[in-house]
Amino acid sequence: MHRFFGAATAIVLLALAGCSTSVTVDSDFPEPVNHSLPVRAGLLLEEDFLAYTFERDKGRDITLALGNAQGELFRNVANHLFVSVRELEALPQGDSGLDLVLSPRVEDIQLATPFDTKLEVFEVWIKYNIRVYRGDGEPLADWIMTAYGKTPTRFLKSRGEALNRATVVALRDAGARLIIEFPRVPAVYNWLKDNIREKDASTGAGP
Amino acid sequence: MNFRLLILASTLVLGACTTTTVNEHRTNPVGLTLDGSEKVVVLGRRHAGQYETEPDFIDCIGGKLDDNTAVTIVDEGDFIDSLYPWFEPRTAPLRLGRLERMLADPLIAQQVQALGIRYMIWVDGNTETTESDGSISCAVGPGGGGCFGFATWEKASNYEAVIWDIEQLADMGRVKVDAKGSSYLLAVGAPIPFIARVQGEACDGIGTQLRSFFNRKGIASNEDS
Repeated sequence: MHRFFGAATAIVLLALAGCSTSVTVDSDFPEPVNHSLPVRAGLLLEEDFLAYTFERDKGRDITLALGNAQGELFRNVANHLFVSVRELEALPQGDSGLDLVLSPRVEDIQLATPFDTKLEVFEVWIKYNIRVYRGDGEPLADWIMTAYGKTPTRFLKSRGEALNRATVVALRDAGARLIIEFPRVPAVYNWLKDNIREKDASTGAGP
Repeated sequence: MNFRLLILASTLVLGACTTTTVNEHRTNPVGLTLDGSEKVVVLGRRHAGQYETEPDFIDCIGGKLDDNTAVTIVDEGDFIDSLYPWFEPRTAPLRLGRLERMLADPLIAQQVQALGIRYMIWVDGNTETTESDGSISCAVGPGGGGCFGFATWEKASNYEAVIWDIEQLADMGRVKVDAKGSSYLLAVGAPIPFIARVQGEACDGIGTQLRSFFNRKGIASNEDS
């Protein structure tokens, strides 16, 4: 009898554990193929950004720790987007020897699971605010950029694996948008036009 | 009683079949020729909102093409990573004109050349469950457990593959496959599945047809003589 209650308790605990998912996003990001902008850039990744964890308590509980992965992505992309990059711990005040400073912030994250939508895909939306400053710390632009990733459920073994994959697709999408669209953000485009020689400014994103 | 069950099981096995239709269009009736260093990459379309072409289906087609000694396949993931960010769901070229503009960039062209890609095969479509019916109940108790009931579901696969020649920047042919089949699950104590290989049949159909497009230069000339 005791054995039966023990088994029943174990099943209940397993069932409860099955209702929540905790994922630490993990991936290596490939080196981008692009022309670097002739810009000396600073990259300011704040502590909140590097430790960012999304928690959803509506429906099924989901915890998604993506700070480390998004830090790696932004470092990787920035190192290829600009001719030189220096990682900063604070926003420069006055002359810093840099042309531009980028500091991303997560504004919002939304998830959709098959449990929510009845579709056989996991979806992740990440809304970033890429704050762009001049080298002396003066604000230049707030670029709101949304990244999206999805993955079909069928070929993945677990909900955690599916969420990890969908988030990695979303982060890669963020990297793609940064490389291709950053030089086209109106304020950045005008700054590049005014501050970078015309010949150099023609390099950059790509086709 | 056992005889009836046997008849029912046989009927279900026969019923769990897949119907596959393959259509092809060739721009040029002569086969596509590859020299020793030229390779093929099979890529899935991932831009649509409600579905995406399954990576395992792309692997399956790659495996079918690789069976033919005339074709060397570059792994989809390796290709996409080597050309990041130009073949992501948001950025992948949907038309040849866009690919031409991309290849006009020497950085991208060099990378494609370094991988030895001559043909790009884009596969668009997915497999989905179109109908389901019936129910199965299972119970577990101290004395054991079991299931009882009957469930059936129908799956449909619809895929189209388009072959692009990177050198000529031309569409060299298309293969379309439609497959559908019903699966059953009968439970009298233990569940007995009768699963239709809908996606597997679609892969066989499209893979075999695509393989017939290609021949290696040496092999082709031997066949011609």
